[in-house]
Amino acid sequence: MNKVFVLGGSQTDFERSWSKEGKSVVALLKEVIDDCLEETNLSYKNITALNRQNKVACFVGNFLAEYYVNQGHLGSLLTEVDDAFYGVPSARYEAACASGSTALDAGITKIRTGDYDVVIVIGWELMKTVDSKVGGDFLGRAALYEEEAVGINFPFPKLFGRLADEILKKYHTPENLFMKSLATISNINYSNAKRNGKSQTRKWFMSELQANLRGDDTNPIVAGKLASSDCSQITDGAAAVVLISERYKQEHYKDQELPIVKGFGHRVAPLVFNKKIIESKPNKYILPWTRKAVVDAYNRAKLTVSNIDFFETHDCFTSSEYATISAFGLTEPGKEYEAILEGDIAFEGKSPINVSGGLIGCGHPVGATGVRMFLDLYKQVSRKAGKYQLQKANNGLMLNIGGSATTNYVFIVGKEDRF
Amino acid sequence: MKIKVITVIGANGTIGSKVSGIFASFGDTKVYMVCREMKDANEAVKKAALSVRANSITNNLIPKTYEDLEECIKNSDLIFESVSENIETKKNVYTQIIPLIDSNKIIATGTSGLSINALSESFSDEIKPFFMGIHFYNPPYSMILCEAISSKYTDKGLFGKVKKYLENKLYRNVVEVKDSPAFLGNRIGFQFINETMKYAEVYKDNGGIDYIDAILGNFTGRSMPPLVTSDFVGLDVHKAIVDNIYLNTADYAHETFKMPIFAEKLIQENKLGRKSGCGLYKSVPHIDGTNTIHVYDIASNEYRQIEKFSFPFAKKMIKEFRIGCYENAFISLVKNNSTEASICLNFLIKYVIYSLFASKEVGFSIYSCDDVMATGFNWIPPLSVIDAFGGLLTFKKIIEDQRLDLNINIEELLKDVPESKYDYRPFLKAN
Repeated sequence: MNKVFVLGGSQTDFERSWSKEGKSVVALLKEVIDDCLEETNLSYKNITALNRQNKVACFVGNFLAEYYVNQGHLGSLLTEVDDAFYGVPSARYEAACASGSTALDAGITKIRTGDYDVVIVIGWELMKTVDSKVGGDFLGRAALYEEEAVGINFPFPKLFGRLADEILKKYHTPENLFMKSLATISNINYSNAKRNGKSQTRKWFMSELQANLRGDDTNPIVAGKLASSDCSQITDGAAAVVLISERYKQEHYKDQELPIVKGFGHRVAPLVFNKKIIESKPNKYILPWTRKAVVDAYNRAKLTVSNIDFFETHDCFTSSEYATISAFGLTEPGKEYEAILEGDIAFEGKSPINVSGGLIGCGHPVGATGVRMFLDLYKQVSRKAGKYQLQKANNGLMLNIGGSATTNYVFIVGKEDRF
Repeated sequence: MKIKVITVIGANGTIGSKVSGIFASFGDTKVYMVCREMKDANEAVKKAALSVRANSITNNLIPKTYEDLEECIKNSDLIFESVSENIETKKNVYTQIIPLIDSNKIIATGTSGLSINALSESFSDEIKPFFMGIHFYNPPYSMILCEAISSKYTDKGLFGKVKKYLENKLYRNVVEVKDSPAFLGNRIGFQFINETMKYAEVYKDNGGIDYIDAILGNFTGRSMPPLVTSDFVGLDVHKAIVDNIYLNTADYAHETFKMPIFAEKLIQENKLGRKSGCGLYKSVPHIDGTNTIHVYDIASNEYRQIEKFSFPFAKKMIKEFRIGCYENAFISLVKNNSTEASICLNFLIKYVIYSLFASKEVGFSIYSCDDVMATGFNWIPPLSVIDAFGGLLTFKKIIEDQRLDLNINIEELLKDVPESKYDYRPFLKAN
């Protein structure tokens, strides 16, 4: 199998509402692709030339365009961005909020097999076309809709509220310690987002005190024990990355050090939340398939948790980030609060999580999130993260989740080892 | 710099309460909110917390009245004066606080345009170095611009530290500006707005107010048309700003700061804009709960329903923006020979020229005009307008073709203008 290099990429400013700007998905795609090509020093002419040899392809991650913007057939939509995409192989990939990762997986695979030299992976979602209640119902399609979402207001906050309850039940964690940990997770994500000029919440105010003020008018309960501060945002946005083959690197970027994809993991847990919990009862992990996807990625990369300098995790809710901490192997399952309260996962900590701000701070345009995480791994490893650059960032791991931790996707991106 | 306790005087005003919220949240400082009456102070606390959407800061907010000034000032590191924009009112407050101030307290005024040098004369020579202007924009939670103004007496080291504090702790976009009437943001913004008002009068037979607003709508790089903005700010506030500039400056655009007679008349009739129910526009409620927006028709001196103007140039630009073809939109604007397109184009050009001029006059960097307009008004930054037209060379050519007579050396102003640090795309709305 061939090596896969990451040439670079771009994301849109997640603060923006494309509905308020009156702009269509074509404007969104045009912007993210224009910027991505500029970042990577590629041009539409390069794409045309590569396509003559059938050496370029596009992979689009998106969850719910048919609902949010009445648009399907999303691979072909790129032909509206520029004529250069006429004839370029392109299709849409979907796995709920892990759609971006399925597109990445497909693109990475096509480089590994040697079919293409240049792959553009784009993830996007426009979610501000409807109000939060209608949008919440749309997102219910990431669960078993008929059973877990029909007629239920905000089904996903409820499912992740239940995850919080199940964590408490399984590990007998003291509730005050657990809720404090969730508030700390929220506050870390918000404060990290302040360093990220493309994050949605960079101007917002959050503090531990505010995150702990659950039930107040300014931090209302959303579902179960989770309040507004425990939830990720409704976001419009897109992210794009360019992957290249070793052959293309040799030809064009011979002396340049480029981050490399070191491993992946992909596991699918039972779709229905109740079945997940029943299945995981005998297991020490509450989300065993999430853990398995992480272990698969470590094994494929021949790395362990001690080799990973930073993580991007799927904090759609604080309870999901909480559970992923042990899945990474940072603590034993049930002891996640130790890493959180001791400061390990903070920006200056020994295992920083979501220095981008994550889904809570940076934003969560669902179909874009996987690609945005991958882009952040690239930025850190290639030392292009600006104000949120970490000192040590040789290897980064991302975990992107679809549904109630149903689809679990992990990628490890790092510096190429030179022997 | 450690700022732990702040006294805000005039804390029940729009800016006073919201700025208290910014200090108490991002700054995590204890804030004494001083008002005339205790009930106003209690209300102000609620408003402050709401303005940053965080009741958790309420513990930091302490309602107080002028009777408590001594205690408040004694405990404070910074005193922020936010009383009404009247030099006598401000001086009265200073007279009250001067005997209470011991050394090393920072004193700042939140004035939006009065002279910092003139205000600083209220203080003794020992206190003068500690006095400066910090001009927040409204609402400060989303408009992060902060204009910082030193007087000729201000201690430079202290001033630098305060700027750093505003930037790093309060997450403000701090722009240092000279002590010049209305400072930089309002100078540029109200030059534009007031000139659109004058054009509304000139073109009153074409529709006037809503006609000009349709020509310079959101698609020209703003989230609200200019005369809607004036209505929103209040015609009285608008007048105070332009009168101050008109009286105390004499630049090439001097006459554009003179408020047209129809607007003066509306002010006399107490039709001040949104806050008084009617002004340039008014909202007419229906029994079914919906509203119709009416506009003041200058020609007939009556309110009427707004016209649904549909100019081909505007339609074309909006269509291009909708699909992200920004370049095409500007090409079509330049090519269109209609009166409306020409008014629009000329306003955009004049906006850039006046911004460059004002940046030199009032700012310390050419980028200042971009910062103030983007983060204080949410308008397309002037330098990025040049980029949107296709760059400096193209922009110069367009100006030549327009044959604008502005009584200023445009060539000199446009020499060595750098590219903007801002992206123009988010500012250009497709509606």
